Amino acid sequence: MADLSMTYPKERSETTTSRKSGWWSSYRSRLTPYLFIAPNLLLFSIFVFFPLLYAAYISVHQWSLIDAPEFNGVQNYTRLLSDGQFWQSLTNTVIYSAATVPTSLILGLFLAIGLNRKLAARTLLRSIYFLPVVVSSVATAVIAAWLFNDNYGIINALLKQAGVGPVAWLSSPRWALPSIILTTLWVRIGFCMVVYLAALQSISPSYYEAAVIDGATRPQQFRFVTWPLLRPTTFLLLILNVIYSFQVFDLIYVMTGGGPGFSTTMIVQYIYQAAFASSEMGYASAMGMVLFVLILLFTLIQWRINRRTEQFV
Amino acid sequence: MVTTTSPARQRFETGGLWLLLTAGAAVMFFPIYWMFATAIRPRDEIFSGAVNLLPTGWVWGNFTAALSRMPFLDWTWNSLIIAIAAVVITVSLNLLCGYAFAKFRFAGRDILFIGVLSALMIPIQVIIVPLFLVVADLGLLNSYWGVILPRAAEAFGIFMVRQFMVSIPDELLEAARLDGASELTIFLKVVLPLSKPIIAVLIIFTFMWRWNDFVLPLVILTDQEMYTVQLGLNLLKGQYNTEWTDIMAIALLSLAPMLVIFVFFQRQLIQGIAGTGLK
Amino acid sequence: MTQTFDRRTILKAGLGASAGLMVTGRVNSSLAQSPVRLTMAVWGGKAEVEAYNQVIAKYQAANPNVSIRLDVIPFGQFYQQLDTRLAGRQAPDLFRVTYQQVGRYALGKAAIDLSQFIDSGYSAAFTPSVWSAVNYQGKPYALPHHTDTFALFYNADMLAQAGVTVPTSLDQAWTWERFIQVAKLLKEKSIGSYPFAMSWQNSAVHRWMIYLYQHGGQLLNNDLTAPQINTPAGIETIAWTQSWFKEGLVPPSTSVKSAEPVQNLFANGTVAMMLNGNWQIPFVNQQMTKFKWGVTYLPRDVAMADDLGGTCVAISRDSKSPEVAADFLKFLVNEENMRDYISAAQFLPVRKSLVEGGVQYALRPDEMKVFVEQTKTIPQHLVSTVVLPTWGKFNPKLADELDLAFTSGQSPEQTAQNIEAHVKNILLSS
Repeated sequence: MADLSMTYPKERSETTTSRKSGWWSSYRSRLTPYLFIAPNLLLFSIFVFFPLLYAAYISVHQWSLIDAPEFNGVQNYTRLLSDGQFWQSLTNTVIYSAATVPTSLILGLFLAIGLNRKLAARTLLRSIYFLPVVVSSVATAVIAAWLFNDNYGIINALLKQAGVGPVAWLSSPRWALPSIILTTLWVRIGFCMVVYLAALQSISPSYYEAAVIDGATRPQQFRFVTWPLLRPTTFLLLILNVIYSFQVFDLIYVMTGGGPGFSTTMIVQYIYQAAFASSEMGYASAMGMVLFVLILLFTLIQWRINRRTEQFV
Repeated sequence: MVTTTSPARQRFETGGLWLLLTAGAAVMFFPIYWMFATAIRPRDEIFSGAVNLLPTGWVWGNFTAALSRMPFLDWTWNSLIIAIAAVVITVSLNLLCGYAFAKFRFAGRDILFIGVLSALMIPIQVIIVPLFLVVADLGLLNSYWGVILPRAAEAFGIFMVRQFMVSIPDELLEAARLDGASELTIFLKVVLPLSKPIIAVLIIFTFMWRWNDFVLPLVILTDQEMYTVQLGLNLLKGQYNTEWTDIMAIALLSLAPMLVIFVFFQRQLIQGIAGTGLK
Repeated sequence: MTQTFDRRTILKAGLGASAGLMVTGRVNSSLAQSPVRLTMAVWGGKAEVEAYNQVIAKYQAANPNVSIRLDVIPFGQFYQQLDTRLAGRQAPDLFRVTYQQVGRYALGKAAIDLSQFIDSGYSAAFTPSVWSAVNYQGKPYALPHHTDTFALFYNADMLAQAGVTVPTSLDQAWTWERFIQVAKLLKEKSIGSYPFAMSWQNSAVHRWMIYLYQHGGQLLNNDLTAPQINTPAGIETIAWTQSWFKEGLVPPSTSVKSAEPVQNLFANGTVAMMLNGNWQIPFVNQQMTKFKWGVTYLPRDVAMADDLGGTCVAISRDSKSPEVAADFLKFLVNEENMRDYISAAQFLPVRKSLVEGGVQYALRPDEMKVFVEQTKTIPQHLVSTVVLPTWGKFNPKLADELDLAFTSGQSPEQTAQNIEAHVKNILLSS
């Protein structure tokens, strides 16, 4: 991932095309890459692009799923502008991302650096930190709901023994979001750790040897060697984690259902509610389109910034 | 990192770090442990309000009881077929596609690549209804293909493969071309043998994603005979009268294949990701 | 399972396969002897699912050419699944649906008009309120299967410890004041972690209206054309139910948007009383081993009121064999099978003959009598409100606003205003 910007291999096509004569072989070698991507592209078109276009089509209709769609122009989009709950759920999503993304990255990096050293039971420790990554979202939600349960969850039981609480983890506006954030971190830290670990292992020791010769202290080594070399990894993890945060659904669906009040209603939650609880598929699709555009913009901007700063590193 | 500090201090630091990491690991492991402790607890103690961090009884019978009450083995079988078939199809297709994006220049490549990347970002809830209509029209409802094919073009996989293959030297491919090898032969005989690390990563991640898939199977697989482990778990949880010992026993069993895979392939996973040029 | 995989794979390979199946399906329905496969989608706990399977087994034994598959879907995802499958023209032949939701499927013509399959006198056998609930513009779109309602479950040991006796007849039902008095007494004496809990989670917020009607209020005006919630009665009811949370009389986790199964809290002694439906009896009976328990009447205010619960069964427009489906549906709700079903799963009958003749319940027959009596207190206006085809849109908004009042301190006045605004919007847009 040298960087996310497009660093493609040098031009090479002229050699492949001029090697053999005749229009057929030239045509064929031009065709080769398309043949390689064709199966994927076919499935993409059928199962991703077409449904997306269909959602765009639905977004200018009123549709309850069980009756016939009725064209209503940009009504869904204008309604969205004045829908306070839509903006609140978007704000919630931003808060949730701001709380989970940097924390998972920092903790993941810390763990990776620690577990990259020679330590007793290193493999076991790595496995334990990675373990939550392989737990499905359904199972995660089940475990979390069981641990955080106000009335018979173990966390409150332990707090009670310590003379604190009970805390209404999932049913007070103050604690519901933090509970969900903690659960999210449990899942994400391990993923960040593994990716950072891989990146650390591919840094050549000669960089550090050179730094030591220059008299760099440990923090300086991190500041001037490790961190800059991890930039592309950090960038990749940043993008991936933001995407995950914007897509969070199952966890909240099971743990709080978006409540109490709207304190844990995220954007996908709200879309789902509009689509299936209020039977307003058209409105839900319009929100989906807006969300898609927002994420796309975010990524493109990040991409640009990354490419620009890369040049100075 | 190379260090200039004295050995004694270093040992002290390492010890402190180890303690910290171990304490963190204990916290991370606790939820899994607690699943286990709940699963083997006597049924009537679940809600007793008593705090026993250690198992109060070893009721292994809870596992067999849970297994006899629900067709967990059938669910596992379905999940296995789906995950394994998806690994074969998805990994092959992603390797082909990622290779083309990494090693060829062709019209529309950048636009296609950005298109692929953006597909990664669409929450499935946004397109689930149109997707259902497509799968229904193809007659794939309640079939394994209905959950394998829609996710076969995995954007993340293509992305990783491309990043990995960019670092394969062009000279190798050119040499093979000069020897008169066909493009497919080059891919099979030259590129694939060099790509073992990324193949391992893809296999692990694809298996994990398909094993854990929930939203898509939920709408495609409505016949209970076709249920996957995750759908079964969801059904259990959704029943009015929650049986926590059963749920925890099944949830724990549902993790088992992933645990085995991770413990055995941990090294390959890390090396594979390292090979994607994340440096 | 491998066999299934292979067979399916081969089937899918042929493009015409599914079309072929559809044609066969159609031919089958006219030839009663050739095999017919039906699918029925339901949700339900153990007792309900077993009771459905029993009726199915009986029908299949009598009609060997028909096989019926039961799709059990968790209630939380039921309507999402059903609607998605309807959108894809792949809905199950028969589906379970509450009286609150059936109007929506009739309006969208997703359920079929059943008048072609029933005789003119057929409706006379059912109780009028549920029969009116399955009718839309004078045509039945589902057949009533059972009803259920609410009463007050109590932990007999805990109430005895507090020295409280419960009412033994409907006219002696506790008033709101007395009920709160008992709750506060329990709290004072620290009996149970919380005095009581109400089961209105999982999109069942319409049960809040029990209290609204008890207090003389209504969500909509008499001819169901305008909101009537922003009135003293409406605001006071919001304030009263809000006070349960404010004063710690109910667990905070039992607000309307949570997923807490209230019956667990009752069974394990966290709450001393629970407002819940009759179908919880099998669960409580099995799980509540450490305490004695009973059921008494709901508290009342200026009036007594209760909720119209229960479900009917409809046939979807996607059914390839509607005649066979209708035949099974009539079999499902005939007197004998209705009796078997409701006595096994602890529901209440919707056939006049069974209401009058009484049903022998396997569990807790005395407690069931309380529920039977409570059904007589369901206000007709409440029924007309919740069976509106647009009810599905009211439900989430009501839940949002009440949840804000119960958990986040939104004032009763503000809550009533917001609900009023939502109700106006929904009435206007339909």
